[in-house]
Amino acid sequence: MKKVLTTCEFCGCGCNFYLGVEEGKVVAVYPSVSHPISQGMLCIKGWLGHEYIHSPKRLMTPLIKEKGEFRQASWDEAYQVIANKIKQTKAQYANNSIATLSSAKCTNEENYLMQKFARACLSTNNVDHCARLCHASTVVGLATTFGSGAMTNSINEIERADVIFVIGSNTTEQHPLIASRILKAIKNGAKLIVADPRQIQLANLSQLYLKHKPGSDVALLNAMMNVIISEGLEDKEFIQQRTENFEALKATVAEYTPDKGSEITGVPKEKIVEAARTYAQSEKSTLIYSMGITQHTTGVDNVMATANLAMLTGNVGKECTGVNPLRGQNNVQGACDMGALPNVFSGYQKVADEELRNKFRKAWKVNLPPEPGLTVVEMLNSVLEGKMKLMYIMGENPMVSDPDLNHVEQALKSLDFLVVQDIFLTETASLADVVLPGVSFAEKDGTFTSTERRIQRVRKAIEPLGDSKPDWKIITELSSCLGYEMNYDSPAEIMDEIAELTPIYGGISYKRLDNFGLQWPCPTPDHPGTPCLHKGSFSRGLGKFGPASYKPPREMPDADYPFTLTTGRMAFHFHTGTMTRKAWALDREYPKGYVEINPQDAKELGLRNGQIAKVISRRGEISIPIKPVDTIGRGVVFIPFHFAESAANKLTAANLDPVAKIPEYKVCAVRVERG
Amino acid sequence: MNKNIYTPELAVIKKVCDEASGIKTFTLEFKDAENQKTFDYHPGQFIELTVFGIGEAPISITSSPANKGYLELSVAAVGNVTRALHLKKKGEAVGVRGPYGNGFPFDEVKGKDILYVAGGIGLAPLRSLINQMFAYRGDFGKITILYGAREPGLLCFMNEVCGWGKKDNTEVLLTADVPDDKWKNNVGVVGSLLPKAKIDLESTVAFVCGPPIMIHFVILDLVKMGFADDRIITTMERRMECGLGKCGHCNLGKSYVCLDGPVYSYQQLKKLGEAI
Amino acid sequence: MKILNKSNLASFLEGLKSEFKVAAPLHEGQDILFGDLDSSNLATDFVGKPRFSPKEYLFPQKERLFTFREDADVEIEAHLNESKKVIWGVRPCDLYGLKFLDKVYLSDYVDPYYQVRRSNTILMGLNCNEAEESCFCNSMGTGPFAKEGFDLLFTDLGDVFLVEVGSKGGEKLVEKQANLFTNATSKDEAQAKVLEEKSKKTFKTSINLEKVKAKIDAASANPVWAEEAAKCILCGGCNWVCPTCQCFNVDDIRSGNETQRVRYWDSCQLGGFTQMAAVNSRATQAARLRQRIFHKFSYNPDTYDGQIGCTGCGRCIDVCPTGIDMTYILGRIANE
Repeated sequence: MKKVLTTCEFCGCGCNFYLGVEEGKVVAVYPSVSHPISQGMLCIKGWLGHEYIHSPKRLMTPLIKEKGEFRQASWDEAYQVIANKIKQTKAQYANNSIATLSSAKCTNEENYLMQKFARACLSTNNVDHCARLCHASTVVGLATTFGSGAMTNSINEIERADVIFVIGSNTTEQHPLIASRILKAIKNGAKLIVADPRQIQLANLSQLYLKHKPGSDVALLNAMMNVIISEGLEDKEFIQQRTENFEALKATVAEYTPDKGSEITGVPKEKIVEAARTYAQSEKSTLIYSMGITQHTTGVDNVMATANLAMLTGNVGKECTGVNPLRGQNNVQGACDMGALPNVFSGYQKVADEELRNKFRKAWKVNLPPEPGLTVVEMLNSVLEGKMKLMYIMGENPMVSDPDLNHVEQALKSLDFLVVQDIFLTETASLADVVLPGVSFAEKDGTFTSTERRIQRVRKAIEPLGDSKPDWKIITELSSCLGYEMNYDSPAEIMDEIAELTPIYGGISYKRLDNFGLQWPCPTPDHPGTPCLHKGSFSRGLGKFGPASYKPPREMPDADYPFTLTTGRMAFHFHTGTMTRKAWALDREYPKGYVEINPQDAKELGLRNGQIAKVISRRGEISIPIKPVDTIGRGVVFIPFHFAESAANKLTAANLDPVAKIPEYKVCAVRVERG
Repeated sequence: MNKNIYTPELAVIKKVCDEASGIKTFTLEFKDAENQKTFDYHPGQFIELTVFGIGEAPISITSSPANKGYLELSVAAVGNVTRALHLKKKGEAVGVRGPYGNGFPFDEVKGKDILYVAGGIGLAPLRSLINQMFAYRGDFGKITILYGAREPGLLCFMNEVCGWGKKDNTEVLLTADVPDDKWKNNVGVVGSLLPKAKIDLESTVAFVCGPPIMIHFVILDLVKMGFADDRIITTMERRMECGLGKCGHCNLGKSYVCLDGPVYSYQQLKKLGEAI
Repeated sequence: MKILNKSNLASFLEGLKSEFKVAAPLHEGQDILFGDLDSSNLATDFVGKPRFSPKEYLFPQKERLFTFREDADVEIEAHLNESKKVIWGVRPCDLYGLKFLDKVYLSDYVDPYYQVRRSNTILMGLNCNEAEESCFCNSMGTGPFAKEGFDLLFTDLGDVFLVEVGSKGGEKLVEKQANLFTNATSKDEAQAKVLEEKSKKTFKTSINLEKVKAKIDAASANPVWAEEAAKCILCGGCNWVCPTCQCFNVDDIRSGNETQRVRYWDSCQLGGFTQMAAVNSRATQAARLRQRIFHKFSYNPDTYDGQIGCTGCGRCIDVCPTGIDMTYILGRIANE
């Protein structure tokens, strides 16, 4: 049996394991004991999630849709059809009538090529990916306050923190190997504070649990800061030497007394006070957050509030502290780093900046568009406005992951032409005119960047199945078909190009990654990587306080739609379920979706466990079995978004944060009825 | 025999009939006549049925050993395998492994009066024993059969059941939780028939089979009536795969339901060490 | 007993390759994993056990049982692996684990897949001169030195290995390469005994097995189950790494008119393990955690003539991301 060390394809923890290969097939998984994150452990998805690789449903050849039905085609034919259509569209309409969606599941090399393809070949900055839907607020919020939108510290430092404050992260289910560190810290005497509208598993293991109302995070954090300032617990030295705009923050949080905080959040004021004191008074407090903070119309404000809290107490820029957004996908950090975003090239270098644009123009030998492009939801809106005509989607499934799915379906169906590149015929691929078969992480070389900015190798273990091709190869071949030659012998070569153009990846090359990767910034070939950001000074120099006032979520419950719907994930399935629902062990745990509802609410509606309910919003309705649990409060329901046939996103709204354009997945209004 | 214990034997569906709402009875004959001849089973045992392309499921045998030359299974369509089975027609092939399990006590209860309490499709494994007892009628005393279902449409084997009621020294009482317009019998859960049956406690052994919740309450009723723990016999259901004590799924305390069960006395169940 | 110079180990194992596939602990990157013999990477002086037991050579993570082909008729093809294997470097805990699995798979109904692999496998054990932090084989009576269950047993005496013959099969292999071996002296055997006693003193983890055996059946309602299960994230790791875990799931995978019946390792810590059409017979994590411990310490001995389903290797402690520790639980059972 051959054993190939690679990086996990599921979440942002970045565990490493060996794929066991026999007769050209992946048959086993062995976690790496020496790897700093996995340490010989994995979650169930790591152990058993790889079944999908050999599923009989894998796409094996390109498909072209004729008279509403797919037929098999050769690569040449598929490329020709796509290239002709692209040329036609560009000739008939503006360059901005074409958009691409890159993939947080694909490698850094592939994401880099996708944004290069969009900019250099298609002459458009219309490139985005699902980070828009999860951490766009982080990128904006932390870039504004710290100058860099990534996790400030490293995963293993969490073990040695004295206080861990987890807000809006269901860590044991979403980032199990990070939860592992939290529990180790508790064993060593650390205190855990958890803030979450649902009584998640981590809340039961915490020393202090704050059950705040969905969307009330700014009020909670401001109230905590109010207590810290009024009790003189702030880190005056840090504020003076390392930050600016403190007076504005002080003025803003002045009105958020514990009483007011309690009124808005529903958390008893004693708990708010205790949380504030605990967080402020320890030597090393670390703050961890995820979708509960980011997926709001006030996502950027929420993120800035966490940054404010950390700066206020001097808990950033030193080990075992920091503001730590947990990136969901295996490579969403990398996809952002590689510039698969409408306003930046790789390394967050702005497309609007003439000097930077020149740098890329010289390297790529072609003029580049200066205006930032559209984000994911804006792209779809643009289709319905008649302006967007053609989309090329790689490794994304907006038909299940985007908000307001009826709207998404309408938009995708209104496109002149849709190309989807994926490993399965997903709900989105089913709508395509041409489908291109990419490969799984086991069939190609490349790199993923984990949530702690660790760039790690993905190593090819088996040959591409059927006639499928590595995604990086597909992009280069399509680009060459369109007249913009892309020629790389291997992903290693692509990374060399990335390193030349991307300062934070400047010192990265494949031969340096064999010892469990490197954490960016890694600007030069002898730089050892950076576990802890903002030591000594922030990326932007001084940390800037970003005061935020509480604004309620866009769509609150009312008489017609009296329940708050909050959506999220669970441990056994991953995002749109394309991969995990094909793994026997994961499918067996949860073959179907469900809506979590408080038992009292269920009783009043006359519904028993497992009975089908209709959940209705202003956007659509779904039929779904109920699951009464007392971990959720009255008037709130929770639906995991993994199940296309009872899609939570049929109900959600495309209510966006005005700057980050991230949808408010965490709050919308619904009605629940007997099914 | 050097047989692979996991290899199914091919069997052909000879007959399919609609037994009750959502329940079908399949008559199977092994393709290899030798297999059919040597397939020796006891009432209460089960087989692992393969629907090719879908999977395998444990199904109790409802025919009696006295019926030679074929095998009968009554199946409710509740999972992937059973739903696929319901789509199968006469002449199609399925796979059979078995027989597995311990079977009901037979010789040990000769000379006793027998009380059967059955709910819904729970009658299927008991039917095997009932018919076997009728084949050896002289060896047993009074036979009382209490049978009920949620609705009349879910009652199985009704022709036979009525026939049993006409036999000597045999009493059959029927009930339904929710009656329909034509229902003339008792209304209520099957446990409500217990006070109406004429049973001699000293000489009776009770066999109980049905949905887990029904078994639970009927056993409590029987205990209250004065039945000794070792005079109450029931069947346990657990998720099963190999059917022969290796895969671990049906582990129930110090036993495997597929090896030491599925037939247990209440006395045995209490000693197993896992809450039932 | 024989002596094999350490420098001759690689030659001995390479010499077996003409007749057998040879597996041994190898340095794989910075990890140690059992793999097909590569003399340049042979790992001989590591402390403790490789994270994965070699049980997967006899009971693989994923094993094809049959292919069903439905054409005019149904054709069934079984897939039995008859290749001859030697596994070198099996720690005493893993030797006990395989002896236990022999009981599970070779008694009553004989599992042909396991049986064919087992009858074609030679086990060469390697005693432990030092325990790892999580090891407690000493408390279980299964280590640090093995007493049975091997064809050959190696003890590291420093520059040489002491080699004990445990079966005719093992003896034949020594004879075939007799030129590599010399006879052991009584000094060598005495040194081994000294090393064994020294090894026993290096254990940091232990349990009181007698107390556990006496009190386990009454421990159903101990609060420790709910307390510890609250941390469980259902990764199944404790089962995946365990040398005695035996449970498997069977799945039929269809492609066209061909169906493969495959079995995979399964975990009793997963909810789906006991899921039936309408009801789950073991619905809480506390009950599942209790099942794992009870199955090993109460039910297994009842089924298999007193043999406990735990080797004391401690892998389940190392693999758990949330710190659920079997020895802590057994300690609570023994003392409450």
